[in-house]
Amino acid sequence: MSPTMKMTYKRLAAILWTACLMCTLVSWRAEGQTSRGTDIAVVVNPDTPVSDLSLADVRKVLLGERQYWNSKLPVVLLIRAPVARERDVVLKVIYQMSEDQFKQYWVAKIFRAEAATPPKIVYSNDMQYELVTAMPGAIAFVDARNVRPGLKVLRVDGHLPGEANYPLR
Amino acid sequence: MHRGLVVTAMLALAAGAAWGQSPPASEQAEQVKALLERVEQLEKRVAELEARPAAPSVTTAAVTAPSAAPNPEVQQEAAKTEPSHQMEGHMDQAAVRQMEPHYPNLQIRGFADMDFSATDQKGTTSGFNLGQLDLHLASALSPKISYFGEMTFNAHPTNYTVEVERSIIRYDYNDYFKISFGRYHTPIGYWNTAFHHGAWLETSIDRPEIVKVGGTFTPIHFVGFLAEGNIPSGGAGLGYSVGVGNGRGDTISRPGDAGDNNNNRAWVANVFARPVKLYGLQIGASVYRDKITFADGRNFREWITSAHLAWTRGDPEFLAEFSNVNHRQYFTNVSTNNPGFYVQMGYRLPWFEKTLKPYYRFEYLHTPQNEAVFTNLDLVESIFGLRYDISSYAAFKTEYRHASRLPGTPTINGLFLQTSFTF
Repeated sequence: MSPTMKMTYKRLAAILWTACLMCTLVSWRAEGQTSRGTDIAVVVNPDTPVSDLSLADVRKVLLGERQYWNSKLPVVLLIRAPVARERDVVLKVIYQMSEDQFKQYWVAKIFRAEAATPPKIVYSNDMQYELVTAMPGAIAFVDARNVRPGLKVLRVDGHLPGEANYPLR
Repeated sequence: MHRGLVVTAMLALAAGAAWGQSPPASEQAEQVKALLERVEQLEKRVAELEARPAAPSVTTAAVTAPSAAPNPEVQQEAAKTEPSHQMEGHMDQAAVRQMEPHYPNLQIRGFADMDFSATDQKGTTSGFNLGQLDLHLASALSPKISYFGEMTFNAHPTNYTVEVERSIIRYDYNDYFKISFGRYHTPIGYWNTAFHHGAWLETSIDRPEIVKVGGTFTPIHFVGFLAEGNIPSGGAGLGYSVGVGNGRGDTISRPGDAGDNNNNRAWVANVFARPVKLYGLQIGASVYRDKITFADGRNFREWITSAHLAWTRGDPEFLAEFSNVNHRQYFTNVSTNNPGFYVQMGYRLPWFEKTLKPYYRFEYLHTPQNEAVFTNLDLVESIFGLRYDISSYAAFKTEYRHASRLPGTPTINGLFLQTSFTF
């Protein structure tokens, strides 16, 4: 191997090492949280075969990395339209993205053929409620004060809304 | 170069003017927020009224039915608002019906870019050129079957060409097994599947040399079948893709779209990890094997090994990819290694609503003198660039490139501008 190539590989190794260090430091930053408010409940259609998800699992679902609850039941993602507090919490705590980054993420996801459809946008709690109850596999995010009968509320990291250490608020 | 600088200044002025004309977003957001709060209050009121006659049972113990206060005023209000509430209910039901999945549900998205380049390379001219117009189609045919297509329109000196870049039908069994057939972006490394033809998606103006469209180093496309999915791995977030296809065609930059040119199938395997605790990080490795047959009868075995590391959160962004292409001629047994890599770093600045992202990319590519499949691809290049996201779906990019090809040849400096967008 020529000295120039050796030097080039050394430079590459140094850059990679610095990058790994940066990634680790960035990951240690506290996860984004919104200003303290009411808890945001994760609700699903009652027939969905889950009752407890870790925050990492919720993130996988929202990122479209987990697209099936089981082999017969696809996930149907519902997300509130911009400016709703539920959306703010989902973007900041789970996606850790800005509004633009979120839009760009889903354009890229579909472009890569990793998903056929983006999350469905809902404009009100009523609409969200109707959709979750009508569509098997649907998952949505609702202000815990507005959770209605007929929905299944999931535990996140073992906690229900209102409990200490509930992560979505 | 001077002309290039003038164009940059004009673009900067145009961008500034456009910025100045945009309405105050914070005011609009406040108004929308206030309206949404009002809607929330009204919905809550309606929910209270709805719950009054009978509260149905709750599926989870933690969910409590809204309290129904026996208030005569509320009763009177309920009677008054009933017709409008019924109308809202009908509207919601109509919206729900509209949002329920219908098949097929074709969605079309386009990408396009317009470019300007000026370099000090002898024999080249500066000027504008129309980039690719890229149409992307996605359609769910049923809850578990989807189609993805992609076509590009490319400008050439005498005509336009239309190319089918991807055409894939995919059957999902579950998250762990999805099988598809068609023409793909070969899943080698990171960039080729992450960005490909959508210039707006990538931070920089152009792709790295090792995955250049029309280049020969990596087989960009692949015709065959692919199995992909997640690997149950807890926090490691492992995923895979494994495929078998035609491999390189007579022209090695192209796949065998109309049929293979030998009886040997190419195969590719790609494994990656997206660790749960390092959200935003992806590391992966790929291997690709093929037999290349030239029209003159020469045959080569090709092994491509690749590894990548990507941190894609934007603050910072870091992409690094290394590939080695090994060729061994069947008759002479002469083996050659062609290494290539790039490292790209970017950082979304915290000012101006995070619309500015300076970036730097270093690229290296080497082909030995006795390489018989590739012509010389030697390159050492540094790129300094700035991306400005003028809206959620459009960007301006400016780049300065400093590149050297063969030893002894002069270095090339260039200014490149691009506006890219999706629609």
